[in-house]
Amino acid sequence: MKFTKNIVFINIAIVNLVACVAPKNEASTNFKVALLTPGPISDQSWNGGAYAGLMRIKDSLGAEVSHIQTKTPAEFEQNFRQYGANGYTLVFGHGFEFQDAASRVAPEFPKTIYITTGGTATGVNQAAMGFSFGQPSFLAGFVAGSVTKSGIVGCIGGTELPPVKASFAAFTAGVHTANPKATILVSYIGNWDDASAGKEQALAQIGQGADVIFQNADAAGLGVFQAAKQTHDVFIIGSNADQNNIAPSVTLGSVLIDLPRAFMLVAREVKSGTFKGRMIQLDTKTDVVRWVPNPSLPSAIPVNVTQRVDSIRATMLAEQFVMPPLS
Amino acid sequence: MTTPRWLTRVGVPAAVTVVVITTLLLVVLLGGFDLSRALRALWSGSIGSSYAFFSETLVRASPLILLGLSVALAFRAGIFNIGAEGQLLAGATAAVAVGLGFSQLPSALLVPAELLAAGIGGAFFAFIAAVLKRRFGVLEVISTLMLNFVARYAVSYLVRGPLQEPSHAYPQSGALPPAARLPTIISGQQTHLGLLIALIFAGALWWYLRSTAVGFRVRVIGAGPIAAASSGRIDVPQVIFGVFLVSGAIAGLAGGIQATGVTYALYEDISPGLGYSAIAVALLARLHPLAVVIAALFFGALEAGAAAMQRDASVPAVFVAVVEALVILGVLAIGRVRTQIAVGRLTAEPAE
Repeated sequence: MKFTKNIVFINIAIVNLVACVAPKNEASTNFKVALLTPGPISDQSWNGGAYAGLMRIKDSLGAEVSHIQTKTPAEFEQNFRQYGANGYTLVFGHGFEFQDAASRVAPEFPKTIYITTGGTATGVNQAAMGFSFGQPSFLAGFVAGSVTKSGIVGCIGGTELPPVKASFAAFTAGVHTANPKATILVSYIGNWDDASAGKEQALAQIGQGADVIFQNADAAGLGVFQAAKQTHDVFIIGSNADQNNIAPSVTLGSVLIDLPRAFMLVAREVKSGTFKGRMIQLDTKTDVVRWVPNPSLPSAIPVNVTQRVDSIRATMLAEQFVMPPLS
Repeated sequence: MTTPRWLTRVGVPAAVTVVVITTLLLVVLLGGFDLSRALRALWSGSIGSSYAFFSETLVRASPLILLGLSVALAFRAGIFNIGAEGQLLAGATAAVAVGLGFSQLPSALLVPAELLAAGIGGAFFAFIAAVLKRRFGVLEVISTLMLNFVARYAVSYLVRGPLQEPSHAYPQSGALPPAARLPTIISGQQTHLGLLIALIFAGALWWYLRSTAVGFRVRVIGAGPIAAASSGRIDVPQVIFGVFLVSGAIAGLAGGIQATGVTYALYEDISPGLGYSAIAVALLARLHPLAVVIAALFFGALEAGAAAMQRDASVPAVFVAVVEALVILGVLAIGRVRTQIAVGRLTAEPAE
């Protein structure tokens, strides 16, 4: 009993000490950056990419960093507020779902800049990053439509979120550009973390004849790779991060958001004091989004297909690319 | 050689608390994290400052109090209602639907209407399981658990369909207007009126179970439904049915205060499994309504402290989830040991 009492006293002492010292430190040199992710950073995808971005900010800009995994809107707001109160300079909420909480908390902490990756809400100290995921998704679709033998291509998403739907629509347009008769199967797992459910969905689509599957389901999507590994002649296309190393023998490529690059773009602005609250649209030209074929499976994509992809990409860079009407 | 009742009442939860904190620290230490930083974060994030206490711990504890009461009441009557999660979602949905649908009403009418709707929503969800139990003898453990999934996917549908926000881009409802929100009760803090409502319910339920005839019947049924039925004075199915609905209504109300007091809109992930944590709260409180308040505060503080540990000491949230699961096991184990001691005592001193 005495022992626990002592701990409590020591704690009070420590807390008081920190409370006295901390504000001076913050005001002088500290560049403090925080990240809230909606899922585990072990997903090798959306959340893992963001964490890699946070680490790059730490290493390149010497920032003091903090990360928290949060699931519910109530927690988004509580943690945004805590970071603001603790003098953080820059706080990332990783997904559109953070924007309501950011809009509520940002005005309370004008010295902290709140960024949501996704969404559209902006303010003086609040910005939203948008990723033009459609163009690289189109390229991935073009590859899928060229490679499929069965003429059936699958899309598996975590839940039916706006950016996922938009990506699948552009992917579908790409498939149909290469192969107008191809059939597209779209299904959603219902969550972003159940890998076995992801595997089930993939096996179901494979059962329906799909031989290329485009997955965008984060940790649940890891099950899609597992399904492809245990069946024959099925290829997977990854999303969000470079997923070519998860299952190199079955992966055609990845539609990648270079989250570290995107995070660094914003963090540099904030550190140099040039940041302005706005909608930050990141596209093929900024090289934040791109289609990355799997280097360890070069024979999977025929040379003429790669050439077509490169020429379409050139039109995208020249801003002459016109997306076919999306269904 | 009998231990005084107050000692076991206080002693067991205190022991559990010590065990929980020790386990948590052990896990943190074994995980290779900075113990002093983690401790500091746990302390300062939960009760170490007025902000942490009023805006973090109390805000998290408010729905847990109501949910804990819901579970405790049902368990007291021998109903294993583990559907608090689904009833909470039904309540939150009903509250948001009313808040958005009648947004032109003045706050003094609108907020009570929302909370009433939340209660009815929760009761309705419990009603399904209660009818299944009464008519067909379906085990409520299974039906309420399954209904949690029904509720979850129903919310997923609603926030993409009838209740979706006006721009139709995001899977969430429109935001409740200020008049439809629960007022905060301490200036500069996030503590909302829901806390007072929860405390009033705790007091009322305690009095009700202890001092009314119906409360007595509930306790008798919980102690032995066959004996209760044999007495010929208690309509067991009727009382169970009623308790089930009230239990659901209280859980629904928890969803109502969460939606109108904290999130101000309906989201798919509005509850981080509060309805399941509530079972641990109720068990830790040994199903006593007033103790539920303390247990809920404990869990609220634990979760607030856990968030701070994640932010400041990089301790992953799963560690706390593991510890919470250990709490339940610990409470169950201690309860079991106590029963054995009691049985042992009875056989040792048969004639007294």
